[in-house]
Amino acid sequence: MGRVSGEAIRSVLILVVGVALQASPKPVLAQAQTAAANRAFDLEQAGRLRDAIAAWRQVIATGLTGQGVLGLERVFAQLAQDDSVLPTLDSLLVQTPADKILRAVQLRVLRSLGRERDARAAFDEWVKLAPHDPVPYREYAGQLLADGRAAAADTVLQQASASLGSTKALTIEVAELRAALGLWAAAAAAWRDAMTTEEYLEQTVVYSLQAAPIAQRDSVRAVLRASPAASSKKVLGTLELQWGAARDGWRAIAALTAADSAFDTWNDFAQEAERQGAWLAARDAFAAMNRLRPAPSTALRAASSAISGGEPVSALELIASARSQLQPTAIRTQVLPLQIRALTQLGRAAEAEALVARDSAMLDAGTRRAYARQIAWGWIRAGQVEKARASLAGASGDDEDEVGAWIALYDGDLAKARAGLRHPTETTAEIVTAMALLSRTKADSSRAAGAAFLALARGDSAQAATRFERAADELPDAAPLLLALAARVQSARHQDAPAIAIWRRILTQYATAPEAAESDLEWARTLRRKGDIAGAVDHLEHLILTYPQSALVPQARRELEAVRMGNAQ
Amino acid sequence: MRNVLRPVLALFTLCTLLFASPLTAQHLLVPMDDAQQNHLKAYGLAFFALKAGDRAEWFLNYRGGSFLLPDDPALRRKAALDGVTVVPVDDGAVAAARKEIAAGNMDAITLEKAPHIAIYAPAKSPPWDDAVTLALRYAGIEYTQIWDDEILKSDLSKFDWIHLHHEDFTGQENKLHLGFRDAPWFIEQRDNDLTAAQRNGYSNIPALKKAVAGRLHDFVEKGGFLFAMCGATETLELAMAAQNVDIAGPFFDGTPMDPDADAKMDWVRAFAFQNAHLEMSPGVNAMSDIDGHQVNVPTRRQPLGQFTLFNFSAKFDPVASMLVQNHRQVIPDFYGVTTSFSKAVLKSGDVILATEDGAPWVKYLHGDYGKGSWTYLGGHDPEDPQHNIGALPTDLSLHPNSPGYRLILNNVLFPAAKKKPLKT
Repeated sequence: MGRVSGEAIRSVLILVVGVALQASPKPVLAQAQTAAANRAFDLEQAGRLRDAIAAWRQVIATGLTGQGVLGLERVFAQLAQDDSVLPTLDSLLVQTPADKILRAVQLRVLRSLGRERDARAAFDEWVKLAPHDPVPYREYAGQLLADGRAAAADTVLQQASASLGSTKALTIEVAELRAALGLWAAAAAAWRDAMTTEEYLEQTVVYSLQAAPIAQRDSVRAVLRASPAASSKKVLGTLELQWGAARDGWRAIAALTAADSAFDTWNDFAQEAERQGAWLAARDAFAAMNRLRPAPSTALRAASSAISGGEPVSALELIASARSQLQPTAIRTQVLPLQIRALTQLGRAAEAEALVARDSAMLDAGTRRAYARQIAWGWIRAGQVEKARASLAGASGDDEDEVGAWIALYDGDLAKARAGLRHPTETTAEIVTAMALLSRTKADSSRAAGAAFLALARGDSAQAATRFERAADELPDAAPLLLALAARVQSARHQDAPAIAIWRRILTQYATAPEAAESDLEWARTLRRKGDIAGAVDHLEHLILTYPQSALVPQARRELEAVRMGNAQ
Repeated sequence: MRNVLRPVLALFTLCTLLFASPLTAQHLLVPMDDAQQNHLKAYGLAFFALKAGDRAEWFLNYRGGSFLLPDDPALRRKAALDGVTVVPVDDGAVAAARKEIAAGNMDAITLEKAPHIAIYAPAKSPPWDDAVTLALRYAGIEYTQIWDDEILKSDLSKFDWIHLHHEDFTGQENKLHLGFRDAPWFIEQRDNDLTAAQRNGYSNIPALKKAVAGRLHDFVEKGGFLFAMCGATETLELAMAAQNVDIAGPFFDGTPMDPDADAKMDWVRAFAFQNAHLEMSPGVNAMSDIDGHQVNVPTRRQPLGQFTLFNFSAKFDPVASMLVQNHRQVIPDFYGVTTSFSKAVLKSGDVILATEDGAPWVKYLHGDYGKGSWTYLGGHDPEDPQHNIGALPTDLSLHPNSPGYRLILNNVLFPAAKKKPLKT
């Protein structure tokens, strides 16, 4: 008699245990199944893969075939022995040929082994066993899509359509397929249909559709807008936010009602918009939440977004609505800072000053200094330099020195401005511009330059441009810079004719100045925008040939290339 | 007196040293090594000189394959505008360079006329870019766009050089129907091709493309230069070898492939390949086993590596040398509908220009056929290795020193070379 192998003994034992468990009462069986599965999982987690294989086989023997086979699939994959699960699968499929888990594993393993033909045969067999079941199609198409094999998945879904009469049961796969094929409008329509029954899909839909290229997004928008369903609106809102059109996103979800869980949707939207710095969209969403469920914290968050978005008037309205519901301490700590920001941004420094004065006794020195600085900016915006200076009186510290330096600049005291702005606390465009002037000129004073910067601070760009141009006469050593500033302001105001006149003056009178190359480039851009391609080419060529050492030459070459290729803006 | 004159003379000498070279130089050397700021536009500068009637020289293997152009204000201006590095040199410096060239594996090839170039591309751009069109447009090299009607009806001998890129000469539209049959651009392209077929008296697209391939075959046989990339390489060969057999699937001509197609292929008519096996399944996105990478068949797809340009003897193999002039010897590989060419199917006369070490495929091939010659470069876009349909075209101003694109432009100037007797 031959020697009985260890494997055979193990198999018999497993069989005996299995039979014994089958015969046991149900609670005992369930406990044994759980214990066997836990053991197998622990062994797998511990990296004892060989032991885990035996343990998962025991799990199968207890009757948990699905869990056991999935365990074997994982473990064999880690051992790079994917095909070792196939014999087990084959024997189990003899007993339960239409088992969905077993069939899915079979497809997956065959495909991972590159046995596409066998996978296809297995799929066909499964379909034959369950001719009216969409699951085989869903599983196989889903796996093919995950592999990026859109064309093959398409074939499977078309077969499903022919066999099942429609692909209604496969809407998710159809939607994924269309997105994979770049059929974005069709994908949006399929997702829209899928969401009517499966609302949880919203995030999946966003993930799928957000990859739509710019040129295709309008078709996606049109499909989603046409749907009255809240889910489509929510998806469109999130998509617009992801696509950088936050206000359009808000418009998509603004009309949601309480029944559509609007509050939660708006809250998610507002927080994401705030994170992206889409302040006005965030303001709108927080304000809508506040109307639905009034709360001071929401109103103040809306106000803060409004101020950051440059709309302080709406912030003051929101602040007023919150103020009435708060205690004095909360008003001082939460409301007052926003009020000061909003009022000073509006140039209503006197009101800000009055508010601070009223609570002055309750404020610490640091807070008072911070408010004084903001109020000084408020006065500057109102064009009241003296009052700005007065609001800083008595305060001290680096910040105030910097604000003082700005005031000195507005007064035309370039020497003091130069000293105060030497170490700015932040690097803004205004600081860079001011420092450029102060380092360029040796003059210690210039009322015209100060007036120009003051006009700029007040947002009076027309005056600023005129005064920068005038300052060029007063400060000949910085004349090209001041003229370039004047031209930049005029260009930003879309005043092309005066801007071009200034660039012409720079190129004629200050042809060797650093601003000459910039003038050529900006002049070319303006001409290109106006459709004068030949003129733009002339200026770009002039820049490249005349100022070959300029840092702007690479940019000029790129733009020359674009103009020549016909990519006029 | 001498003390008074010394500072004046010193100043004069200094001025001479500083200014004499650029003002009195007889030539402009266009270095093509790492000193060059814009390699791609340098080819455009050489083409511009030839177009203006100037003669140019191509210094093979000298500073990355430099050009020597006459010193001319218009050339200097164009070089400055395009950001092409040029070095004004006098006769003495050129003589020194020639001496160096004579002593090493280098040679000077005269370029005497701007070649007439044609690019085979449809009138309406498909949703993928064509690396050669991109290269020529960026370099500022003129070309004529031709399509099936022009190939079939016009005199191709007026062109020195015809370029083919992504088109499928088996008439199966690169089998893109497998993934894009409902895409509007695919439907439009197929309809346009079908209309062109009917206009030219053919019943289907495979028949039309086979006729086009036949004309291209004749163009080379009669002395033309042909450069092909991507899928055009493989499908042109298949179409030429399959003049008398149906190799198109049923989607395009309504009939299945001839089951004995493999055996009926006439490889004598092909330029580069022989004994390749056709992909018989209409559902598999591959044409044959010519391509080593099989990018569109996931189970066969091979990963990208890097290819090495072969270093030829400039004096004995000037043509092959011209085609591999570069400032880099090893270049990252890039996928295309056809990425590479299996060594197993090469004809014995093929000249391998670039290969991947240890791989069973080559990247870049050249050969003669009849009185003309052909060059094949696998892959779609040297600066977009994974290029996908619908991806934005490559912006070459971001890749002015692209070694991969240089290979394309080498082919553009190669027909401009004055033929000189081969030394072998």
